[in-house]
Amino acid sequence: MSDKDTLTLSAISGQAEVLTASTTIDTAKSDKLKFLINQIVGRLQSTFFAGIGILIFIGFWSLLRFYTKDALPGPLATFTVLKEMLSDPFYDYGPNDKGIGLQLFNSIKTVLLGFLLGSLVAIPIGILMGASTICKQIFYPIVQLLKPVSPLAWFPIGLVVFKDTGMATIFIVFITSLWSTLINTSFGIASIPQDHKNVAKAFGFSKMRYLTKILIPFSLPHIITGLRLSISVAWLVIVAGEMLSGGAGIGFFVWDSWNALSLEKVISAIIIIGIVGLLFDKFFTYIENKVAYR
Amino acid sequence: MSYLEIKNLEIAFPTPKGKYIAVRDINLSIKKGEIISIIGHSGCGKSTIMNAIGGMLTPTGGSVELANQKIKGPGPDRGIVFQNYSLLPWLTVEENIFQAVDSVMKCSKKEKHEIVIQNLKMVNLFEHKDKLPGQLSGGMKQRVAIARAFAINPGVLLLDEPFGALDALTKGSMQLEVLKLWNLDNREKTIIMITHDIEEALFLSDRIVVLNNGPASTIREIVEVNLPRPRNKIEIVKMPEYIALRDRLLHLLTDKFSIEDMGMVYKS
Repeated sequence: MSDKDTLTLSAISGQAEVLTASTTIDTAKSDKLKFLINQIVGRLQSTFFAGIGILIFIGFWSLLRFYTKDALPGPLATFTVLKEMLSDPFYDYGPNDKGIGLQLFNSIKTVLLGFLLGSLVAIPIGILMGASTICKQIFYPIVQLLKPVSPLAWFPIGLVVFKDTGMATIFIVFITSLWSTLINTSFGIASIPQDHKNVAKAFGFSKMRYLTKILIPFSLPHIITGLRLSISVAWLVIVAGEMLSGGAGIGFFVWDSWNALSLEKVISAIIIIGIVGLLFDKFFTYIENKVAYR
Repeated sequence: MSYLEIKNLEIAFPTPKGKYIAVRDINLSIKKGEIISIIGHSGCGKSTIMNAIGGMLTPTGGSVELANQKIKGPGPDRGIVFQNYSLLPWLTVEENIFQAVDSVMKCSKKEKHEIVIQNLKMVNLFEHKDKLPGQLSGGMKQRVAIARAFAINPGVLLLDEPFGALDALTKGSMQLEVLKLWNLDNREKTIIMITHDIEEALFLSDRIVVLNNGPASTIREIVEVNLPRPRNKIEIVKMPEYIALRDRLLHLLTDKFSIEDMGMVYKS
């Protein structure tokens, strides 16, 4: 009813609006400009402070280099090597000498494959655990027991089962990707408010309608959070895993560079690993915001 | 001729300390098209009775019968408006109503959409149909919830403290909204409403069921409201019958009327 009132009100004041229209357009324009300027200033400010943070970091790094009497390469030497590495990232001179781009591509492929398989297992089990107490009682003790185990401990088992280091690496990523997704999914499903369930009950929602209109929309943000946590841990684990497995990937690259005593390459790889991890996280945060509801 | 028949209803919950009886000996027969208010203090089992009618709870004793059929669970013959609106926050206003209609009604998609639009227009929310519940005010959300309950065209409408969370002004217009919908439907829908508000109960209902305090609360008294309809909010408060009824209800629901009743007499 209040909407009707405002409608008539605006109709009455329509004439007055015509008179003030030109001025309102001007103020609207300047408001828009102010907003834009504010936004740009905000961005500049945050970039500026981020720059200060990086400068402090580089300062400490230089100090460290000074104290280790140049055993640790300084920022300048590292960036020269990094630039060199990035100038030709896809060269391939045999199994032990590949460009950083190829190594990175290999690692990302392994992580995504393991992560995908892990998620395909974790989400359905998480849904079951959240929806049924019996399923929770069956799976939860196993999850609690295995979750704290370092994924690297699974490597020998992967080797025995698959008889292939590449597969074993995918296997440890798979194991790593399970836990956060599983726990977040089951939590999300279990915390569907009684209100929403009552709606389904009162209006006789079918199982399918409950699934698509209540269960999934409610728990999707929780599931995505789980996926985000899982992929960050998976990305942590891949470096260590490839150090063990050898042969390919960014982890192998780090270990290989250390053996060749090229610490510049090690640090460059660390920077690249950090950036890729950040991108993964940003990607899932973006999706998280997309599926969130108020 | 009774439409909704509550017979010796008892609802108890198991607790670690034993059986907790929420309500017992509830006997009530409601005619088609009647508006009934259930009033009582917090925790006296109002919502419990409502849930039993809605089929969300199974009675531990007695029965609830709707058109001579024992109620065994929730069903499309009863539309429920929940206390806290219970809209699905990820669906638009239109979708919220459509999902209920689509689930309950047996007609073509096109007809279902028409029902949704018609009900949205009835509560003056057509312009807001593409908004999410989070973008609406409390009163608007409640209107969506009412439109959703009406849209499935139930014989009985159950309102669980529908306006409890609304401010006094919005509350007033929402009460009129409910009466309007009831009139548009030829006063054929039976409405059962829980409330804390004596004025609201008097303005809307044909009968007011006053409950005793819990636990194990029973019906204390059923007050007939013989005020002529349509009722005018300003007019009815001046009627002697209204004043008498209000005083009666106040006496039933209140133990003390001023601080002097508590033995604290102020001397100047």
